[in-house]
Amino acid sequence: MHRDQYPHRRQVLSGFAALAAAAMLQRDGWARSADERGRGAEIWQPPNGQPHFPARAKRVIWLFMNGGVSHMESFDPKPMLNKYAGKTIKETPYADVQDPAKLALERLAVPDANGNQRNELYPLQVGYQKYGQSGIEVSDWFPHIALNIDDISVVRSMWTTDSNHGAQTQFHSGRHMNDGSYPNLGAWVNYGLGSLNDNLPQYISFGNREYWNRRDGHYLGPAHDAVPLRVDPNQPLDFAKRPEGTSAESRKIGVELLRDLHQQQAVQTPDDNALSARIAAYELAFRMQQSIPEVFDFSQETEETRKLYGLDLPHCQAFGHQMLAARRLAERGVRFIQVQHGAGGAGSWDAHGALKSNHTSNALAVDQPIGALLTDLKRTGLLDDTLVVFATEFGRTPGSQGSDGRDHHIFGFSVWMAGGGVRGGTVHGSTDEIGFHAVEDRHYVTDIHATILHQLGLDSRRLEIPGRKRLEIDHGQVIRPILL
Amino acid sequence: MNIPPVLIAVCFGLNWIIGFTGATHAAVDESLYLTQVKPLLAGRCYACHGALKQEAGLRLDTVELLEQGGGSGPALVAGSPEQSLILQRVATADVAERMPPEHEGETFSPAQVELLRRWIADGAARPAEEQPEPDPIQHWAFQSIVRPPVPVVTNQEWVRNPIDAFIAQRHEAAGLAPTPIAEPSILLRRLHLDLVGVPPDPQVAWQLRQSASTDWYNEMVEQLLADPRHGQRWARHWMDIWRYSDWWGLGEELRNSQKHLFHWRDWIVENVNRDRSYAEMLRLMLAADELKPLDQVDLRATGYLARNYYLFNRHPWMEETVEHFGKAMLGLTTNCAKCHDHKYDPLSQTDYYRLRAFFEPYHVRNDMVPGESRLSNNGIPRVYDGWLDVPTYRLIRGDEKQPDTSQVLGPGLPNFLSWEALQIAPVSLPPAAWQPDRHPWVLENHLRDAQQTLTQAQVELPKAEQATLAAQEHLSAITAKLGSEHESAGNERGDALVEEVAAPLIDDEFTALNSEQWQLLGGQWEHQPGVLLQNQDGPNHAALRWLGELPSDFDATLRFRIRGGSQWRSVGISFDESQVDPLGAATAEDSAQSVYVSAYSGGPKVQASYRQGAQWNYPGEAAVAKNIELDRSYELRLQVRGTLINVFLDQELVLTWRSPLARRAGFLQFTTFDALANIERIHVTKLPANIVLQESQTKELDRNTLVGAKWHADRAALESQFAHAKLRWAQAEVESVRQRGTAAQQMDAATTELRQALVESAVQAERAAELEAARLALIEVELRKFNAPNVTDELKQQLEQATARVQTAEQKLHETATSFTPLVGAKWSATRFLFSGKDDPTVEYPATSTGRRTALANWLVDPRHPLTARVAVNHLWNRHFGQPLVPTVFDFGRNGTPPTHPELLDWLAAELIESGWSMKHLHRLIVNSATYQMAAATSPERMSAGQAIDPDNHLYWRRPSGRMESQVVRDTLLELAGQLDDSLGGPPIPADQQAKSRRRSLYFFHSNNDRNLFLTSFDEASVLECYRREQSVVPQQALALANSELTHEVIPQIADRIIVMAKTVEPANGETVDVVSEAWVRSAFVVVLGRMCTDAELSRCQQAISQWHAQELEQGSLDTTGRSRKIVGNLIWVLLNHNDFVTVR
Repeated sequence: MHRDQYPHRRQVLSGFAALAAAAMLQRDGWARSADERGRGAEIWQPPNGQPHFPARAKRVIWLFMNGGVSHMESFDPKPMLNKYAGKTIKETPYADVQDPAKLALERLAVPDANGNQRNELYPLQVGYQKYGQSGIEVSDWFPHIALNIDDISVVRSMWTTDSNHGAQTQFHSGRHMNDGSYPNLGAWVNYGLGSLNDNLPQYISFGNREYWNRRDGHYLGPAHDAVPLRVDPNQPLDFAKRPEGTSAESRKIGVELLRDLHQQQAVQTPDDNALSARIAAYELAFRMQQSIPEVFDFSQETEETRKLYGLDLPHCQAFGHQMLAARRLAERGVRFIQVQHGAGGAGSWDAHGALKSNHTSNALAVDQPIGALLTDLKRTGLLDDTLVVFATEFGRTPGSQGSDGRDHHIFGFSVWMAGGGVRGGTVHGSTDEIGFHAVEDRHYVTDIHATILHQLGLDSRRLEIPGRKRLEIDHGQVIRPILL
Repeated sequence: MNIPPVLIAVCFGLNWIIGFTGATHAAVDESLYLTQVKPLLAGRCYACHGALKQEAGLRLDTVELLEQGGGSGPALVAGSPEQSLILQRVATADVAERMPPEHEGETFSPAQVELLRRWIADGAARPAEEQPEPDPIQHWAFQSIVRPPVPVVTNQEWVRNPIDAFIAQRHEAAGLAPTPIAEPSILLRRLHLDLVGVPPDPQVAWQLRQSASTDWYNEMVEQLLADPRHGQRWARHWMDIWRYSDWWGLGEELRNSQKHLFHWRDWIVENVNRDRSYAEMLRLMLAADELKPLDQVDLRATGYLARNYYLFNRHPWMEETVEHFGKAMLGLTTNCAKCHDHKYDPLSQTDYYRLRAFFEPYHVRNDMVPGESRLSNNGIPRVYDGWLDVPTYRLIRGDEKQPDTSQVLGPGLPNFLSWEALQIAPVSLPPAAWQPDRHPWVLENHLRDAQQTLTQAQVELPKAEQATLAAQEHLSAITAKLGSEHESAGNERGDALVEEVAAPLIDDEFTALNSEQWQLLGGQWEHQPGVLLQNQDGPNHAALRWLGELPSDFDATLRFRIRGGSQWRSVGISFDESQVDPLGAATAEDSAQSVYVSAYSGGPKVQASYRQGAQWNYPGEAAVAKNIELDRSYELRLQVRGTLINVFLDQELVLTWRSPLARRAGFLQFTTFDALANIERIHVTKLPANIVLQESQTKELDRNTLVGAKWHADRAALESQFAHAKLRWAQAEVESVRQRGTAAQQMDAATTELRQALVESAVQAERAAELEAARLALIEVELRKFNAPNVTDELKQQLEQATARVQTAEQKLHETATSFTPLVGAKWSATRFLFSGKDDPTVEYPATSTGRRTALANWLVDPRHPLTARVAVNHLWNRHFGQPLVPTVFDFGRNGTPPTHPELLDWLAAELIESGWSMKHLHRLIVNSATYQMAAATSPERMSAGQAIDPDNHLYWRRPSGRMESQVVRDTLLELAGQLDDSLGGPPIPADQQAKSRRRSLYFFHSNNDRNLFLTSFDEASVLECYRREQSVVPQQALALANSELTHEVIPQIADRIIVMAKTVEPANGETVDVVSEAWVRSAFVVVLGRMCTDAELSRCQQAISQWHAQELEQGSLDTTGRSRKIVGNLIWVLLNHNDFVTVR
């Protein structure tokens, strides 16, 4: 991949993009004017860091549960599973869910033993209660999230097409795994809007990823990759720590010398954009060395807040750190905070067997911290313009796999959103009585992207770059009923 | 309807305004067509109604053609939107009628429909003499390469070779003056970084400054082109373009590319160094298995195709193969034709699948290399046509579920790139190519392994015999002592009592891993909610140690699951472990007790054992044969009182045992040995006092009794028999390997009679070995039976089977046969695409190859091919200048960007072909040109003059400067420190060894999963596609250079070189070069940045040095030498972070 495929950023964005842009300006000169000759119907304009229309949300916190959360045991209760437990689907009144025409969605990435429909209905492994004024039912595995249900809009009618974990890629980029590599949503938001804080990267990710590609920006270029951070106060950012034996004072003399040497050269060669970009990159790098550790200095938080996030509890401490860091990054103007839970291998939520213990412990790890994030964002007023998204690559089969698991399920599953102009306390769409197919107000994964972009004031189609379409035909539909 | 004008303005926004102004100025009307309408039609319609295709006989690429229309009549009637068919067709809501058709393009938005309507309504103004699109076949890149004449230019003294004439011609036409030639030190560094990928020796740079001979440049070019590092440098470029990637997958599972793909990397390096013809390299990469089927050296070239291997699905594999063949070698994007006809180039969807058909039969295998019989350790990944008859179908809309099976598509070329009928001749492969056991090293490797087994057996036999002898002597001694007295068995069993409930000391289902309770020792432990996994394979101990205090009498239950393991697959409970580090060396005083379950396929069992010192004892009478299944959950429970142990497996009492070893206080551990295992639950209580344990059933077999002694003697005799059998088998196996390998090798040279004789001996030797193997297996079962306390049905069945195997082997010994099992000399990379079983079958390799890829390769490198040479020289040019002649380096088609210097491109392409596709010839031409040697910057006046005319430097009036590629940054740091190990070839350096490695960066493991963090910061090549390197400037680069360990590791060595340099710069000061001296600072610039410092830089550096000096004095922690060293380091750090360090000027 080379820079001619990358967008040419003439407008000065702040943050990382500006640096990358400046560096590319000079060297992309030729291709740039070729573009300007224009091809296609509309003359393409690069983003200028402004929304295309008034925005409801300024930033996104993207929580992704890797492996596939059971929709029936989280946000979409299906009592019929208990009623018909142990029966095959064919023996129930819902036999028609397996009509081949209804199953035509699937597009296998990886033909293997998983991703089969499982025929024998498996009862719910957890109970449900109603919460909030809206009285929406949430499973007993997610009591802390449930306390915020009046700020949440649950979409119970999702579907996707990859019945293996390539659906993780699909949820992030809107493209099937076999279609190749495409920038993910965070990269596009980063590309379209730039930063609100000059001291921090505008796109940050937490949590390891193994199953799908780690590059977020792809053809948009590495400047649009998420900057990976770890919740490790000693080393949140790679290469951010001054080596042992180098004192701050002597480094300061060095940095000043470097700045002056660069300035001397800049006077000699005022047109050297790479040099000016590098000067700026060093400035931001040294600012980040200060700003990033500050983000992770949780001693600035009250004891009550640290407890709220469960930092004192071993089972949710790790994710609690990430959620608290997410709030602190959101406060400081980071645009897109991507948090992967349970990534690595196929994903920790992938409960082919022992679903009960699997989901119990995964939920224990994330529920309280996510609940805390929502509560904390709300009480600090940040929730108004922060869109929180809780998603997973697909649901799990109504039928059992083995004696105590559920398989991958693409035909119906749930995600939820909160804040950023989303109407809380609502349920949108539904699956059938056994949670097999999304039946009412069905939504493909790109509808979530369209909704997020819409709240940020971005027009999906205007994020395309010459020669590269973000998506081919399905830009997704904004899910308007869940918006304020 | 009367619409208020205001509303129209609101609705149609900009278009309305343009339309309005258009109505008042006729000239703008035409511009509306040119700037908005025509681009819209070009984007949505021309692909089917233009020069490329004329669906329904309709072309839309001029207004005249629109008016002329097609099968349905005129598409446009100027001034009459109602009569204009085009408007109806783009605006209709009827999906069947609407244009563009569904799936083929986006529909017109209401605003676009309105734009079109207004333009038609206003009279469809168009330019005079509008020209239709030219015939796509006439596209520049599809025309033959004809060497253009070298232009005659005015600025003759600037021209060093024809490249400069082409460049100067454009300078002169544009009124540009070329920037003067760069100063020698700049040129020297540029040349080094470009040709060998590391900076020059600073001493050379210094000498050059003192006295440059007139010929130094040419001499340096020749020297560097002949340097082996040149191959490393330029191979890395081609590795980008050809998508080099080490394997990757999920964990250890190979899913993409191939293990040992480094053989292809080494082949590229070697061939670049020997200046192999580019054409021949392409041919070999595509078809060495057909062109040179026995050439192990060149077969490595097909790693190019082996890299596309994808475990799960053949379609993405084939798509990537076609796509990147197109982009890298043809300079064409073909992949869009997977779903529909190409929108820009005359390439139909059928053409695309015909291209795919060239590759359809190929598969990947690993060929054995001399010296290594295990293909998992080494082997050459290479391709072969394995699926000769697999049909290629057009996939409807590219959907793999919808093949158009009405027509099998054979290999074929698109018309616009064909100049003669394609000749595809099947290739009859020499036998060794498809019978790899014919290679001499295959026999050598197998023979070496067999002989090692034999040596081992030879060592074991005397030991076994000695043990037998000792056991017999012991028996004799006891017999003598006791006479023939014989104690008969019969032990009364105690009743199992109802257990008293005791509060558990441990009850852990591992929902979380409690580190206060548990310590993990050895192995590779992984905690997942509800389970603790031990993932290390191989004969190693791993232990989960309880940190609590264990009462002497206890009741412990372990729920576990054995997933696998190389051999022993043991999981158990140990107690009284005395060693703090049980994996460390034991002293004579150390001891431990243990009960474990083994899923060893040779004899699964439950075994009690104990350790004294380092010696583990496994008493035969403390073993119970039990069928232990993999992937099944078991509960092992011990009740221990004193030395008496009761063992239960899944609630069944399976062993009672009184340990001969006294109890002592020690750790309780849950252990694995050579087992991939899951620990699921652990439950431990104090053993209630009222529980009565059962006394040993096997007390009568105590080794001190006669019975025990006899038992041991018998077993030793059996073990001795086993050792004998093993030796016989190992001998027979050596012979079998030798005979089979020899027969395979001599199969051609021999006469029919001799051939028969060879086969006969091989068959006999193989059968003899099988008989010995069967006998060995039988004794092995008998031994197990002997060790088992009772003979289970399963054991009986195994005995029957083993006996039957011996009988069969004996019978077969006398039958005639015409074939033997070949030695394994290669292994195919099986896919689950065809075979969904867990273990894919071994396959035979076909004796013929389709010849398809040879035909494709020959066509590709035919001198008449318009694209191959142009694409290659563009890649070469781009990597010398950081700026290509054709900006779209992988798309020379109609959607690509045309060359800035078409004649130069063609002249270079002709030069490449006529030089015998010599890349070094091209390098020499390019670096010797004045164009290459210009400075990047010159006087401000001349710079602004140039920028006024050609701000983006399209015309090369100055040298484009660029940033080092990621590998060059790291290699340069090490080279400056004199630390770079530039040795050639070998397996890639794995991620965990990279920090300490001093090898060149191209040897680092490079895959989608594993990338080096430092290299990644500097735009490492994406393994998926990298036709050009990105040159971003991001803060992570600053952090990497400022703070990486690498930077700080090299600084002291760089300092040493600067001192040496300073002595050269200022020899008068000799030994006393001080860090604050001018000579030192100047030397530092020369060494690190390859250039002299300015006076301003010098004084600013000296100022900083004084500051550092003052700071150190103030802190007073260092002596003079230490102070100097520190200050030296500080200044080097600054220079390494200077823009000039990573910049190539």
